[in-house]
Amino acid sequence: MLLVDVGLLRAKEPASRAAWIGGLTVLGLVGVLALLGQHLAVTGDLYFMDRDRVLVIDRLAIVLRIIIVALALGASLLSIRYPFTKHYGEYFALLLFATVGLNLLVATENLLMFFVALELLSVCLYALTGMHRGVLRSAEGAVKYFMVGALSSAFLLFGLSWIVGSTGATDLPALRDALAGGGNALRLTGLVFVVVGLGFKLAAVPFHTWTPDAYQGAPTPVTAFIATASKVASFVVGAKILLVGFAGMAGSAHWPWRELSSGTFGAARIEPGWVLLLAVLAAASMIWGNLAALTQKNVKRMLAYSSIAHTGYLLLGVMAANQAGLTAVLAYLVAYAVTTLGAFGVVAALTRQLGGDDLEDLDGLARRAPGMALLLLVFVLSLAGIPPLAGFIAKFNLFAVAVRADAQELGLLWLVFVGLAGSAVSLYYYVLILKHALVHAPRRSDPVRVDTLWMVPLVVLAVLVVVIGAWPQPLLELFGALVEGAGLIR
Amino acid sequence: MPLLPLLAGVVGMLLPLSQRRLAFGLAVGALGASALISIGLLLGAVQAGGEAAPVVVNFTWLSFGGSALKLGFVLNPLTAVMIAMVSFVALLIFIFSHGYMHDDRAYARFFAFLSLFCAGMLGLCVANSLVLLFLAWEIVGVSSYLLIGFWHEKPSAAAAAKKAFLVTKLGDLGFLVGILWLYGQTGTQLLFDDGFGVLEDAQLQSLRAATGVFFGMNLAGVLALLIFCGAIGKSGQFPLHVWLPDAMEGPTPVSALIHAATMVAAGVFLVARTYPLFAADPMALDVVAWVGSFTALLAATIAVAQRDIKRILAYSTVSQLGFMMLGLAVGGVAVGMFHLITHAFFKALLFLGAGSVIHGSHHQQDIFKMGGLRGPMKTTFVTYLVGTAALAGVVPFAGFWSKDEILLSAWHQHAYGPFALTMVASFLTAFYMTRQVALVFFGANRNVDEHGHAHHAHESPLSMTAPLMILAVFAAGIGLVGTPWANLFGHFLEPRAEHAEANLGFMAVATVVALAGIGAGWALYGRLAPKSAGDDPLARVQPLYRWLEHRWYFDELYATTVVRLLRILAQLAELIDALLDLAVMAISGGLRALAQAFFWTDEHLVRPAARLLAAAARVGGGALSRLQTGRVQRSLSAVTFGATVLLGLLLLVMFAR
Repeated sequence: MLLVDVGLLRAKEPASRAAWIGGLTVLGLVGVLALLGQHLAVTGDLYFMDRDRVLVIDRLAIVLRIIIVALALGASLLSIRYPFTKHYGEYFALLLFATVGLNLLVATENLLMFFVALELLSVCLYALTGMHRGVLRSAEGAVKYFMVGALSSAFLLFGLSWIVGSTGATDLPALRDALAGGGNALRLTGLVFVVVGLGFKLAAVPFHTWTPDAYQGAPTPVTAFIATASKVASFVVGAKILLVGFAGMAGSAHWPWRELSSGTFGAARIEPGWVLLLAVLAAASMIWGNLAALTQKNVKRMLAYSSIAHTGYLLLGVMAANQAGLTAVLAYLVAYAVTTLGAFGVVAALTRQLGGDDLEDLDGLARRAPGMALLLLVFVLSLAGIPPLAGFIAKFNLFAVAVRADAQELGLLWLVFVGLAGSAVSLYYYVLILKHALVHAPRRSDPVRVDTLWMVPLVVLAVLVVVIGAWPQPLLELFGALVEGAGLIR
Repeated sequence: MPLLPLLAGVVGMLLPLSQRRLAFGLAVGALGASALISIGLLLGAVQAGGEAAPVVVNFTWLSFGGSALKLGFVLNPLTAVMIAMVSFVALLIFIFSHGYMHDDRAYARFFAFLSLFCAGMLGLCVANSLVLLFLAWEIVGVSSYLLIGFWHEKPSAAAAAKKAFLVTKLGDLGFLVGILWLYGQTGTQLLFDDGFGVLEDAQLQSLRAATGVFFGMNLAGVLALLIFCGAIGKSGQFPLHVWLPDAMEGPTPVSALIHAATMVAAGVFLVARTYPLFAADPMALDVVAWVGSFTALLAATIAVAQRDIKRILAYSTVSQLGFMMLGLAVGGVAVGMFHLITHAFFKALLFLGAGSVIHGSHHQQDIFKMGGLRGPMKTTFVTYLVGTAALAGVVPFAGFWSKDEILLSAWHQHAYGPFALTMVASFLTAFYMTRQVALVFFGANRNVDEHGHAHHAHESPLSMTAPLMILAVFAAGIGLVGTPWANLFGHFLEPRAEHAEANLGFMAVATVVALAGIGAGWALYGRLAPKSAGDDPLARVQPLYRWLEHRWYFDELYATTVVRLLRILAQLAELIDALLDLAVMAISGGLRALAQAFFWTDEHLVRPAARLLAAAARVGGGALSRLQTGRVQRSLSAVTFGATVLLGLLLLVMFAR
């Protein structure tokens, strides 16, 4: 892309350069999709694996890569008509480098490769966040994202070095065997630092502080990319490391319902391990994310806080620590990614003509652009978890899995309560978005035209949201089989 | 059968607004077909008799991890009665709406929403799975949100729609927890499933065996109460009753549909549907009885002091729903459902009658500004009178039989507290209905504008009065299927249960109470016919009247407690951020002091470094100063803070063991 941009397209108009490079990117990604599809067709459970598990390409990894490449494709489509920079070569090159990082991230079971891929991804995302030329918020978001990210990376690397140093294992199954006996203080410290690094990528409270600024400041297609592809890959790799590598250090934060309801705090089964850490992060994210979203006045910022809350819900599925839990997390990620890409797509399509992306800019959308208002309705209701859309069934499945993880004593029910209470609060701000778009009177009455290049992918996403919501069986079956085929979790 | 209105709704929404006739035809046609099917099903069920096993169709929706999530449909007497009533009453309301909404710009969209609503309502009646029921329940919620806020140009309508949505959602929270818990415990959420459904003996026994879950209740009771939370929200029971009267901002046919026949009854239906769970724990039934009877009294007292004709009916609905809940609790499914059915007819009649009055008197809703309408609006007057008699419990109109059965059951069950509350409530019911009829239809016409010109009322068109007449016939006669001498309804729904014997003395008492209420109402309002618009004779009883007029100050109470609490929590987030800033400042201040000390002791090392830093700062300073660097520090400190807390927690837990 870089060479094409400075070589062949040097003298062209910006608009045609955007079309050429964007078109090439889209073509390339479609080609990658075709290749991946071919892999999927010929392979059994395992396609490729080296001795140290630096690359493990099994069916699960291939399907996840297809999803990630498709999301990158969506973000590229959104970028072509979004006038935020003249550096098209750099922009699309960075987007593709980030996609490479994501692909490596979901296809490795080695801690060193995991760190390298994470850095490749993160550095590209910092730069992409700051690509909105002449917008101070964009630079601010990028700096903040970078500084918090750098600190978290330091924590992560430090923690990994403790773990690898004390066990001698770099690949996950070896790590699992080395840690089978449980942890000592040294290893627990390493675990905490690893969780801090993951918490940053997942945007869990209190490692979320970069999220609102980066989401709001970044060009909207980049926001969509961070909120979807990056989130999917981070969750997958995080779940893998914790569920497989640290299987022996799970610990517990279960609070049997019978004791909880009779008010005995001491009966909670608190044992040191990552389940306890995730319980703290999940509860904090669900509460904080939903409360902080209430007061936001900018759509992208509000969605940033909502994504923090969704991280909290997703952590519940990881905490279930079984195959059903991972399946539920994957299904939720797909439903969430499709919905979020759609929501940011609507915002991206409208920003320029509405004059901004504050809630007030949406006023009267229903009259100015009824089609876009309808799409927004579908995406926002799905985020809110209203049946029969994708967000509902994914959330229901996730919570049901969390309850059933400890069906005898319902040890995680307390967190499900927190999650449901959080969802109830979240309705308020989701309805607020709809109120602005559907109820408020428009400040200007001229209709908003959105061209077909925008509409087609958005309509496809909306249809997906409805179809997944009404008929989730294939998705769940697919992930169930993949997780079982990967054979990582016992 | 629910699919037909669903299709009509979806197609209707895609139609352009100009296709009015097509939209109307589609909606009425689809619902008419549904009504025919459901009445056919009802007749079939009656022929099979109440003893026949329920017809159940289950299918797997999705499966994960070895367990399957099944959905299904069920047809038993309860379903048959409910779908027949819902589709029939809704059909009449559709026809009425044709006249009422004739001049509305978005007429076509209105019928699409109505169809969608009916689809959800019928779906929830036939669902054999709690998840499917919940799906339909939410469709009802969303479409009622759209309908209440239909005139969204009015800020009050938009606010009411939002309030209705959020308050009912609060109840749904408990409902959803109940479903999840039930599913986690039993592995199924099917109601009937060849002996393995949650309402069948095997599962019930295991749920009942889990005792001491919460305040000594068994698990079935706790789950029942969680489900009851959903019913409280949907059926406007105390303490979530606040949304229902505000929801009167929607068009009047919507009020009739949502608040009389269907949506609010959905909560009662839910309790009836899952009744075996409630019956497994007497304490759960006690809670239902007390909530129901208290709501009945609370709403009846508030209705006495309202001036808006629709608001009075709304509070009356809340009150009657309380009666139904009590009926379920003390008398079983048949008793509660009987009142639900009779109430659906006479309350739909009253709401549509009120719509006709409002339509005829130029959108005046204040009963103190009406009066004398019995002359110009004869049909409306007569049918309204029938509805009033039914609601007030006059022999032999429908409401008498069903209400009498509830009170008698309460007496037999020794539930004297709830009995007393509802006795007072039924006196007040007769009173406020008489007040309303007297003020609206008798006396002189008080509907005058500021120039002193009287607005003359006119009778409504046939498409509005015909449904009134049909409903009036039912409001008068439907009670006869459930008299204590020949309780067909009760035997159909609960063939094995014992039904109350006729008790003439008791009937006499109930009649005396109703007549006393009517007499008191007539004495106060019938002869007085206040001349000026502000004269309510009751207003002399202060401060009680103001207390009731302001609805016991519930809205204010919630505004100062729940709403403010949420706002405080939201602001707490900002406050903690500010505190973090303070901590960061303190730390950086300390660091600066330390640096000063170093500066003095180690001047030669620090100085070149400082010069270098200063140069760097000059270069980047302009840009960076605008980037609120203080907040970046805060972000960094938050990460460190989080890491420290997590580490401390783990080590603490580890060494504490």
